[in-house]
Amino acid sequence: MSESSLAPTPSTSVAEPVAPIQVSLWTSFRSLLRWSLAMTGAMLPLIIVVQAMLAAGIVIGFGFLIPDITTDSALFLSSGAPTILLLTVGLVIVPQGVARGRASGALDYQRSLPVARPLLLLVDLVVWALIALPGVAIGLLVAWLHYDLTFSFDWPVLILSSVLVTTMATAVGYAIAVTLPAMLAQLASQVLVFFVLLFSPITFPADQLPDWFQSLHALLPVQPAADLMRAGIASGTFSADGRDLLVLTIWTLVGLLVTTRALVRRR
Amino acid sequence: MDADVLHITGLTRRYRQVVANDGISLRVRPGEVVGLLGHNGAGKTTLVSQVVGLLKPDAGHIAVGRVDAVRHPAAARRHVALQPQAQAPIDGLTPRSAIEIAARLRGLSSRDARAAARDLAEELDIGPWLDQRALPEGGGLSGGIRRLTGFAMAVAAPIPLLILDEPTNDIDASRRRLLWDAVRRRGDLGIGVLLVTHNVAEAERIVDELVILDRGRVIADGSPARLRGTQDSDLRLELQLRADRADPSEEDLELPVLRRVRTGRRTLLTVSANEAATAVAWATGQRAEGRIDGFSLAPATLEDAYLAFTTHTDSASGAGIATAPTSEETTHV
Repeated sequence: MSESSLAPTPSTSVAEPVAPIQVSLWTSFRSLLRWSLAMTGAMLPLIIVVQAMLAAGIVIGFGFLIPDITTDSALFLSSGAPTILLLTVGLVIVPQGVARGRASGALDYQRSLPVARPLLLLVDLVVWALIALPGVAIGLLVAWLHYDLTFSFDWPVLILSSVLVTTMATAVGYAIAVTLPAMLAQLASQVLVFFVLLFSPITFPADQLPDWFQSLHALLPVQPAADLMRAGIASGTFSADGRDLLVLTIWTLVGLLVTTRALVRRR
Repeated sequence: MDADVLHITGLTRRYRQVVANDGISLRVRPGEVVGLLGHNGAGKTTLVSQVVGLLKPDAGHIAVGRVDAVRHPAAARRHVALQPQAQAPIDGLTPRSAIEIAARLRGLSSRDARAAARDLAEELDIGPWLDQRALPEGGGLSGGIRRLTGFAMAVAAPIPLLILDEPTNDIDASRRRLLWDAVRRRGDLGIGVLLVTHNVAEAERIVDELVILDRGRVIADGSPARLRGTQDSDLRLELQLRADRADPSEEDLELPVLRRVRTGRRTLLTVSANEAATAVAWATGQRAEGRIDGFSLAPATLEDAYLAFTTHTDSASGAGIATAPTSEETTHV
């Protein structure tokens, strides 16, 4: 690899001023990824258990709320479960992790490293995607086991929407954690669980909401995320439109922008 | 001037009303270990945070190598390795992998990074823990081993400027000695080291220059010998005062005292070696008369000078700095 040729050798430093660091972006990225995977990766088994329990709660538990559940509502419920799992990781677990990192000094430690600070965010996005994405399979597996549903996957749409929803949720969750004071960030992430789980048209159709709440959800990223995911999971029954993609993209960009600014900025 | 790895002039930083750094100037040359001493809250960590671009100065100039660190913080960070006061985030990693990652991030090849981890483990005597994983909530590795790993991560690759913020916290006495030697060795390799510590007595052995901060200002700087302000042969007579009696050394002394510092119920008197017998006789007499609880006589240290600089004259007893030879007017660089 070319970066090794750039490395200063320890023996050149005697009595000479030491040269500043030269590292390729790729080496920095790989090293940070290794670091972040080890730190966050320890949580992976726990997160998979949480996701499985949450999936069971949504698919089976919410099913109890609906008497004589039809195949249609079972499909709606089940195709919403993966979205909830992805949003929970991004909007709840990510901000709590980042808030912990801020409190312990870990975030400042990484910010003082000789790497471009936006790289820190990129690495975290990749790591959280690796942690969150099994949730899609877990959610669908639970649904399939319980209702014996047949899904009609649109793979390109499913992959694109899973990645986009994860990125959006992680970016927004990160932005919350680096913008708000630690206590508020914790609180906000707790409130978001309830909002996503109970007040968002993910497990029920949007037209069951009052008009004003529907218009609000048209601007928030939750419903577009659910619609896009659904179009990838049960493409025969549901579809998404360009507006969903646009809203989700805008939220992703805002989240990335706010986070990058907070990481780069000096207080 | 261009040769400095760190050159700070007039650095000022406020937190609302509090002036944490008040016109600080200091420099670190290649191969030089500069100790930054000061009480808690003196502004040491604030200063360090501005060098690595975590905080923005309100005024002043920071040059790291030839880079203006205030204007180009990202470029400046490529010259600096920092071991912060907080533990390095290594949960989930072994010391070996943490050191290797830090070395890779600072430009060593995989092979050199592996060698660096091995060498540092030997240098700091942490071999037995090298492959033991750090676990969340402080599990897996003790605080001392984590701190040494943090130090090893900072020095894993050669870099122009090394900043160590209280590197000896949590570390046992024998490894602390290894660590001080390791710091000195980095200086001898040509690295400029800024060493933030309140461990005055131990740092004295390895630093070339000292800067003493108090309430955000540089109140003294210079070599340890110069700051000590006395001969190496000078002695420190420490009086343990009685709570109910006045300090007998406040009265006329038949004893020629070079410096007098009062801290709590102790008074430190610096006397020259040829006054040792007189000093002991005087102190023995005071104790016999019950005017002091006890006394001890030992070689004068930098700590005495440090206390003299940082003991504020506004204390109730009014006994502050008596005759500190270098005084606070030490010239700033």
